[in-house]
Parts: sequence; structure tokens; C-alpha cells
Amino acid sequence: MNQVAMVIDLNKCIGCQTCTAACKSMWTDEPGQEYMLWNNVETVPGCGYPKDWEQDGGGWVDGKLRPGRLPEPADYGMDLEVNHQEVYFEGSEQRLQAKPRAAAPRPDEPAGKTSPLRILNNEPEPEEPSKDPQQWGANWDEDSSSGEYPNNYHFYLPRLCNHCTKPLCLEACPTRAIYRREQDGVVLIDQDKCKGFRECNKACPYDKIYFNHVTGKSQKCIFCFPRLEEGVAPACARQCPGRLRFVGFLDDEDGPIHRLVYGFMVALPLHPEYGTEPNVFYVPPILPPTFDEEGEISDQERVPTEYLESLFGDGVGHALETLEAEMEKTQRGEQSELMDLLIAKDWKAMFAIPDVKYA
Amino acid sequence: MKRSTTVSRRRFLKGSGLAGLGLMLRHSPLSAAEALAEEPEPYRRFEDVYRNKWTWDRVARGTHGTNCAGTCAFNVYIKGGVVWREEQQAEYEPSGDDVPDYGPRGCQKGLRHSNWMYGKQRVLYPMKRAGERGEGKWQRITWEQATDEIADRIIDYSLEYGPDSISFGSGTMMSVKLASFSSLARFANIAGFTVPEFYSGVGDLPTGVYMTIGTAYTGDTMAAIYKSRCVLVWMANPAVTRLPDAHFFWEARYNGTQVISISPEFTPTAMHSSLWVNPKPGTDTALAMGMIHTILEDGTYERDYLCEQTDLPFLVRADTGEFLRETDLSFVATLAVRDNVFYIWDEATGQPRRAPATGLSDKPIGRDRRRFETLELGDLRPALEGTWQVETRGGTVEVTTVFELLKRKAAEHSPERAAEITGVHPKVIRKVARTFAAARPAMIYTGYSACKWIHGDLLQRAMLLLVALTGSTGKEGGGLQIANAPKTRGMMAFAFADVGPAFRMVSSTTWDYEHGRMKELTEKVYGKELAEDWDARYQESIREDYFPSYGDKGWKMGIFAGNNGANWRASGNRWREVGFGKLETIVAMVPDMGCTAHYADYVLPIAHHYERTDMMLQSRVPYVQVLDAAVLPLGESVDDWTAMNRLAEAISRRARERGIGAIRDDVDGRTVRRDFRSYHDLYTMDGSIESARDVVQYLINVTPGVPKMSFEELAAKGIVRVDDSDGTTWDGEHSPYHNEVARSVVGKRPYETLTGRQQYYIDHEWFLEYGEALPTHLEPLAIEGFPIRFVMGHARHGIHSMWRDDPLMLALQRGEPDIYLNPDDAAARGIADGDPVRVFNPAGAFVAMAHVSAGIQPSMVFMYHGWDPMMFEGRENFSAVISTAGLIKPTSMAGDYGHLGHRVLQFAPNQTYRDFTCELEKWDGNGLA
Repeated sequence: MNQVAMVIDLNKCIGCQTCTAACKSMWTDEPGQEYMLWNNVETVPGCGYPKDWEQDGGGWVDGKLRPGRLPEPADYGMDLEVNHQEVYFEGSEQRLQAKPRAAAPRPDEPAGKTSPLRILNNEPEPEEPSKDPQQWGANWDEDSSSGEYPNNYHFYLPRLCNHCTKPLCLEACPTRAIYRREQDGVVLIDQDKCKGFRECNKACPYDKIYFNHVTGKSQKCIFCFPRLEEGVAPACARQCPGRLRFVGFLDDEDGPIHRLVYGFMVALPLHPEYGTEPNVFYVPPILPPTFDEEGEISDQERVPTEYLESLFGDGVGHALETLEAEMEKTQRGEQSELMDLLIAKDWKAMFAIPDVKYA
Repeated sequence: MKRSTTVSRRRFLKGSGLAGLGLMLRHSPLSAAEALAEEPEPYRRFEDVYRNKWTWDRVARGTHGTNCAGTCAFNVYIKGGVVWREEQQAEYEPSGDDVPDYGPRGCQKGLRHSNWMYGKQRVLYPMKRAGERGEGKWQRITWEQATDEIADRIIDYSLEYGPDSISFGSGTMMSVKLASFSSLARFANIAGFTVPEFYSGVGDLPTGVYMTIGTAYTGDTMAAIYKSRCVLVWMANPAVTRLPDAHFFWEARYNGTQVISISPEFTPTAMHSSLWVNPKPGTDTALAMGMIHTILEDGTYERDYLCEQTDLPFLVRADTGEFLRETDLSFVATLAVRDNVFYIWDEATGQPRRAPATGLSDKPIGRDRRRFETLELGDLRPALEGTWQVETRGGTVEVTTVFELLKRKAAEHSPERAAEITGVHPKVIRKVARTFAAARPAMIYTGYSACKWIHGDLLQRAMLLLVALTGSTGKEGGGLQIANAPKTRGMMAFAFADVGPAFRMVSSTTWDYEHGRMKELTEKVYGKELAEDWDARYQESIREDYFPSYGDKGWKMGIFAGNNGANWRASGNRWREVGFGKLETIVAMVPDMGCTAHYADYVLPIAHHYERTDMMLQSRVPYVQVLDAAVLPLGESVDDWTAMNRLAEAISRRARERGIGAIRDDVDGRTVRRDFRSYHDLYTMDGSIESARDVVQYLINVTPGVPKMSFEELAAKGIVRVDDSDGTTWDGEHSPYHNEVARSVVGKRPYETLTGRQQYYIDHEWFLEYGEALPTHLEPLAIEGFPIRFVMGHARHGIHSMWRDDPLMLALQRGEPDIYLNPDDAAARGIADGDPVRVFNPAGAFVAMAHVSAGIQPSMVFMYHGWDPMMFEGRENFSAVISTAGLIKPTSMAGDYGHLGHRVLQFAPNQTYRDFTCELEKWDGNGLA
């Protein structure tokens, strides 16, 4: 099977959320999708989006599905409205403030009636819209650095559906609504077949499937397949001003994905221990050096390697060593194929997809 | 009909040239796949739902004309008559060989504009205040009523108090859209309004740069960063403030450049740097001086460059500390008042010799010298070090060089001494200095934060000195990168056509100082001694005519065009009370509501970015960019050209109806005849300008460096490369940008400074008195008893106050204004992450949400700027504690000294925002007091 894939270079990610906004405008601007970010960027270490997703279970353990938990609406904390009308045009004395909007009603749940799906999924009853300001959000931890100043650390982690080679969502779906496309390996939820049981959501260890309360279906990143079909890279990649997302096919040996993942082995999957074989890969970040107790520059790395390994697995050591060795080469004025590839002077070359189009 | 919509990758490749019609054409999702399908995959009807979603009716070229300096080319997709979404056009080329290209540019705000432009904050029709000011009660009125009433007030104030009693501020929403700004400026010029100069008014004017090289504008394309071998990112945070361009830094790092980030807090820029250096806030000049010390000690400076390009070899009298001048030597010179002939000590002849290119007329500054004189030294061999005896008219005098004085000054700033001040280890200081000195070329990338410290001018002077020591200023990939800007010739040609310059551009900071009685504030916060001393210099500057005075001017009416002045001013709450309190009429012309509009008497609805025809030209990307109206303006909003046209028409008509004739107006000693009845004819150039589009065409035709073309051509292309922009530096004669530094370094023309050099020694008596003749470290001001330093910066999720209250942007933050602090400072005050905290000092107080981060240095807090006062408890934002509006540093108002003295958009005191401290506590929920 041809597998489309993405490499995200964390040494270039500035956490600007342009990918998030690009995806939102493109695909999730409809009723029931307000809280969804098929693509999000979170500060790590942090709780992420949805909150504490890494603790929600799911994934393969010893060849079996690990039970997962459904995140609660408040864990997403996304759908806000601002009282512009009241403050600016109606003379309200309130301050201008964003507040969570009331959850949209479910189609199978008219007022006063509890949906069987809600009971089945052990979902809480919908809450009254909060009078309080937002308590959590998709980027709540933005720049909340860990460790201790001045040796603190954090970086940005963009996340989208991994379009896994062993997609658990697909296995978990009781209605066989989920499938991988033969031509590009994109994993999709057939909206005609989905019955909204949300087993996929529980099974996905990355919490990258969302339930649309208006249509009653589960939805997720589609890797912008309509764009791929027309030779245009996914919105999150093509619209990324940081130029940090490579798109291409895993088995294209001349393409950037294959070279970074299998050639230089500097691009690694997120949480490989979940066992789903993700097709989104990350170049791990190298942060500036730390200081010793005297304030001199220390050789202790800023991000603990164990932490990076907890995210990206055993390949971290090799990837970091390779990156550092190649950066030293260019500092000496020598050529480096890897650095040239990551610099991507020609931005278009980042997208090795058929008939690639830019205009 | 059943049909396959999918193809294998192999066939995709085979069908190259057939598949896809591209992003610009009307989209037809099925055709390509149909043409190629050979072996049908199972058909999934629902996939078409997604395919059909990615369709549109029409595409227009556009961008967001704010002052973010991004100038990102966008395709704006229109579906069903409204803007559906936008995506980068991304057809950029690289700046020169061997650098990354500019694609794709853009940011999250730009990508959400299609949503924001339909947001509930939009002003849809003209409104007149119906309640008290700031009460938010409005009466909807017609454009005719609005313009008639405003026209009558303009006429009345002009007759009674003079046109200069009306201030006309255009802000960052408009100021960088060329047609908008030109239209507003033309109107203000015809009417003779007072125009506050916003560059220093927002604290962005690099006065230290101006003092040193005679222009405030020095900087190249963003791609120049890639050409540097060592770049100090200092007082700047491009990973947040330059989202479309930040990649150049990390790409340079991959390419072997040392990217060294200098900031007290661990910024997103520091995150990706080769090295992070973390001085205490406001101690940066000590760090710079420690580095200068190291470079001088190591002898790793470029001697020849310094001798030719700088004043370091110039001779200074030991007795007075002043330059040795021709007037010291020759009686004839005193008759001609030639006090700008300077000397070097020539090692070839063992004599003091006149320094080349000094001594010609400096009015207009340096023009003659530039044309005819050269910095080339010829046979001269200037000494950098030594002391000598020189016979003057007054006897024998000991002289030495500026370089010698610099060595003495640097000796006071050893890395060890700098370490005590900055908290940075001396070994780190030496390492940075040596890395920097070894790099060719070496660059300092700085931002406007350097201008927001009261002694930021000294830091800028030290930065320029650092790069000069390595000989990198004026070289590709080197120098100080702070701000370039397109020359304003095109816009001014339009604004002044048929009228001549007839408005009054005033120093915003001194205007506020006088009208806001800001000295009282300084006295209250910083004590009588400082307030009196600095005020005495202020008054002297006015008396000596270095700077004009505005205190005796009546101030009756304020027009705010795309300007949210009540948001960003230092000590904004005081400004709102004292400044706004004075105004009898406030008019806001804005697309979106904000604090200023909320307190206005009239609000006029202005078209948003995708609803107007305009063009952009900003300094870091070599392209001119179009805004080609994608849709009609929402509600009754109109573009700025049209708004001013309606107002001009109303003024002329009302003047005729009321039988009011011309008035005589004195502008800086010139008499200008202002006839209200002719305003409309003047504004439209007798009907030859009929729309914003005509203005754009006019500007294309007259702006140097903009390729000559029709508007249609620009609209079709979206972006067009500017003239003479082959490399990464702005050194071309025909580019639209300032190239003075290259002209001096490459072309050897003198700088527009008193000495004709990069001038590091300023022997103006005030500089000598305050110990600032050379760059030096002075402590930032603090408020006694308030230990927390308050540092701010441009925001990631907004441009100034724009987009700050977009629901998605807020959801991607904490839903409301937050303030970053260190975990230890929080714990010591019983503050937890997410708690509301009250920040206070003698100037005022405000409340924001605590955002605890170990990346924040202890004893400081960090907050992004731009949050509107309307979003805060009691409508008091951070401006409440920014007590600096009355701080006007004496040397920033010096004059009668070559290039020093009031010069619009070049030399004027900044509003500063950093020199204060505060305290914080968990907020108890009961008011601000």
C-alpha cells in the first residue's frame, strides 16, 4: 500500500498555531465542530488537548486493545463566545470577556430526553453554559515551561491524526465505518456508515477523533485528501509559515520522508509504544545549552533525553547525535546533505506529492 | 451516477499535467480523478462531501494591511458572496542566491481573518453617542448626518481655535496601507490638522541609531539573516513577532550560523537558538559594554574599517572633552561658524589633519557632503591610539582619540563588572563576544523593545559599536537589523500634491507630556528631583528651539483613524482622563470596536482588509502587495478614501451653505490659505481621483522603486518584486528602501551625522554632563518598594489590539489577558496558576490571570501587549501601571548639534514603557484599589 506521511521538524516549530487555524477554516467550521481542532499545537511537557490525553488509554498492549477513556467536553475547552454585542453596542458595564458557549444539542437527544448513546458511552449530562470564564483550553499550557529557571525547558508539539498503519480506531469500530484508502493510506471515517458509538474515540491513544454532536458522527483529520488528489499539500503543511512539515510517500526513496525517516533516521513517531505505527514523524528538538550552578555554560542537555524518549522512543539518541554532528559540520563550513534537506531552501521541495501544485 | 474518485499513486504520476487545476481557478473536484481512473476503487459517496467542501466561486488577491510587517500574499476565496477562507499565494522567489525563499508566509491571525471580518465587533453603520462617554449607548445615524455634523465641528474649531486644534491620528490599521494612509494624510494636509507622529509615539523610534548613523532606518531583507555567521537576537522575539520570517533564523542555525538569543525570559526564540543568554531586564547595555571590553582587549576589531567609517580616530580635547574643531585652531573659522571640521592624528606626517568629508554645510544635513565628499582616507594614516599636544588659539592642549576614550570607558565595564550587573557569568560574556568577533559577517537583530527603555538609545549605540568593531555594518549578513521602511516619497507626493506640506506633524510624546500634564505623574512616581531636572531640560529644549512646544495650543477635537490610542499609550488611564477629558469631540474611524471607539462621540464604519482596494510595501520582503477588494464592504462601511471624500464634500458644502470664506493659517512661519469651500476639489484633485483604486495607481506611478504597471496587472499578480532588489541587503540606488548605510560603507559617502561618520562620541554639552558622550550602561529606573520588573512584548495571537478578542484566538490562549510569572514569585505570594492577580504600583493597578512558567526570570513578570482595556476589570489594562509617560530623557531632546534636534520620524523622544517596577498579589475580587 502507498502510504502518505508527514515529517514535522520540531526545531522549526514556533507554536504560532497557523496550522491550527488553517485546518479550522478549511474543515471544522460547521455546527457541532466548534470544539474540534483536527490539528492542534501544544506545549510539552504539558497536559495537551484534550487535557491529559496521554493518560486516556487506548492503543495496543500485547496485541490487545487497551481500554480507553472518553475525554469530557471540558477537557477540550474550545468553544468560546465574546460579549461584543452587549459591551460595545448595548451599554453593558461588563468587561469584554470570552465565555464557553452552551454545548450544541445532540440530534438524538431533544430537550429532557437522554440519548441511549450517552448512557452507553457513560457520558455526562450536558451542562448549563458556564458563567465562569474558560477553565481549560487547547493551548492552556502555552509556554508554561517545566523545570527550574534558567534550566527550564519546553517546546511545541503539533498533533494531527497519525493515519496509522495499524489504526486502532479502524479495529474498534463496531460498524466498520473506518477504512484506509488503498491509494494513499489515508484513514477515513465513512460519515454514511458511522453510527456515533465513539469506540474509535476511546481506542485512539492520541485522542484525535472527535464526536460531532450535531450530526451524531465521529470525525477526524482527513489528511486533506481532496487536496492531495489535486496535487496540493494538506492545509496544515502548505500553510505553515515555519516551513517545518514535509509531506510525501513513505516508500518514495528519493523523497524527503523516506530520507528523514529511514535514511538519516532523524524523524520519529510519537509514542511508538502505543503500537499503532503512526505515519506522522517528528524531528526531535535540540534546545540551547543549560547553565551550571556558577552560571557557566554546562554540557547538560536542556530537555532531558528520557523525556524525549518517553515521547519518541528509543530512536531519540541516534536522531539527536546525527543532528548535532551535522550541525557541527556546517558550523565548520562543510556541506551537509541532512541540513540542506531540513533547511529546504526551495520551500516547494518539501512536498513530494504527485503533480504538486502551488498556485 | 457511480464513478471513481480515486487513483493509485502510480497513475497520479503518469497523469502529470492533467490532474488538478490549481488554487486560482474555479475548482472542479471530480474532473481530474475521472480523467485518470483506470481501476476503480470502491466508491465512497461521503468522500465527495469533503471534495465539494473545498470549492469556491472566485478568488481575489489580498492581504492584511496591518503594521505586522508581514505583507503576506493571500488568495482570498469567495463562496456564495462571502469570504470563505484564505490561503497563502506563496509565489515568492528567494532574495538572491543561496538563501531560502520567502514561501509561504502568513500567520494564524491572517488565516482567521475571513472569520474575524464577520465578527460581532464590526462597526456596521455610523453611530453617534447617545449616553455618557464610554457608556456604550449609541444612536444609529446616516453617513450624511455624521459627515455634516463632523464637518460643522471641523469648521467651527478651525475658525475659533485654528485647524491645529484638531488632532488626526492614523494608526497601524491604516498607516501601512499606502492608499489609505495617503488619503488620510492628504485630507489632514488640506485641513491643516495636527498629526501626532506615531513612530516615537508608540516608542518605536530608534533614536540611538539616529544619533549614531544619522538615520533611524537600517535593516535589510529577512533573508540577510541566513547570510550571517553569528546573529545576536537581542531585545527581539521574532518567533512570536515575525511569524512568517522566523524560519530564517533556524535555517541559518542549520546552516552553521550561531544564533544567540539574549533575553531575560526564555522566549520562543531562545528555544530554538544555539545559545541563550539571560541578563536581568534592563541591563543589556552592561552586557554589550562587557563584550566591547573583551573585543578591545583581544584586539579582534577591524582597524581599517573603524578608521574610515567611524569617529573613533577623531581627536578630542582632554581639557573640555569636546572634539578638536577648526574653530579651536583658526580665527577665520570662528567667523564662518565652522564648528564641524574635525581632526585625526595622521601617523604618516605626525600632524593633526582634517578628517575627510567634515566641514561642509549641514543644511540640509549632509546633502552637500554626500554628493561631493568621500570617506576615503587617501594618504592619511589615522592613529587610533595615543595622546598628543596641539597648538590651539588658546594655547597648547592635550588631545587624544575617541578610541582611547572608548578604551577607558570599556575598562569600567569588564565582563566581571558586567556580570555583577547582568547576572550573566563573565565566561559567558567573553564567549559570546569572541564568537561574535570571530564571525564575518556578524549581525545584531533587534526590535523595538530596545527603544522602549529610557536608556535604550545607549544600548542601540553600543550595539552599533559592536557590529562596527567587527567591520560588519553595511555588509551582507551583517550590521544592526532594526527597522527599515519604504521611503515615503510616493505617499507624500500624493498627500502634498497641489497643496504643499501644510499639516503639522508633532512629536507625540511631547504633545502628551504637555497636554497630559505628565510631569505631575513623574513627580509622584519617581520623585521631585528627577521630575524637576528633566523638566528643566525639557523647557530649555523648547526655549532653545531644539523642539517645538505644543502646550499653548488648544486641543478640541481628536480624529482617530484606525488608531486605538486609548489602548496602547503609556499611562493610558491618565491619558484617557486628562487627554480625552480635554477633547470636545472624538471621532473614531474603525472597522472594529475597541477602547478608543468606545469612548468616541462619533464612530464611522470603515471597510476591512478584504473589502478595500489598496497596496502594501513593507521593509523586510522585497515585494509590493495588492489588496484587491474581494467583497463589498460589510454594512455601510467604506474605505478610508471614500470616508474622507464624504467628509471633504460635507465640509465644502457646509462652508458654502454657511457662507464661510477662507482663513489664514500660520504653519511654522508660512501663511497657508485654507478655503473650506475648496476642500473637496483639492481632495479629489479636481475630480481626477475618484476612488482608492485611482490612489493606488497614482502611488504606483510616483513611488520610486515600485515597478510601473497598471493596477490590473498588480491585482492579477498579487505580488510584484520591487526594483533593485537582487541581493539580501538594501543597497540598491533604485530600491524603495533606505540604503544610507550601504551608501556610506560601499559608496564611501559621509553619514548624515555631525561628524559625517558613524558617530559614537557625542560632545553635546548635555551628553557630556549626563555622562553619555560614549555608550555606557545606566541603570533602568525603578519604583522604590516595588521589586517586580514588568516586561512586555508584541503578541503572538494579535497584532497590537487587532484580533485580540477573536474567539478562536482567545480559545488558543486562556480566554482572557494573562501575565507570566516565575513559580517562586507566585508561591511567595500564594498565587497559583490561573488565579487572578492584581498588579499595582503608585501609578495604578490592574487585574490579569496568573500564568506560571519556569521560563520567566525571578523578580520579573512578562505580559504580551495589545490587550484592550475593555477586557479588564474596571477597564484598566497594563497601561495603568506603566508610569513612564512623563519620562522624557534630556538627551532625547538635545539640539543645535548637526543632526540632533527635532526631525520628524527620525529624532524625537520616545514614549517609553519599561522603566518602572510593580508588585502583585492574588486578587480578592473587590475592585482595583
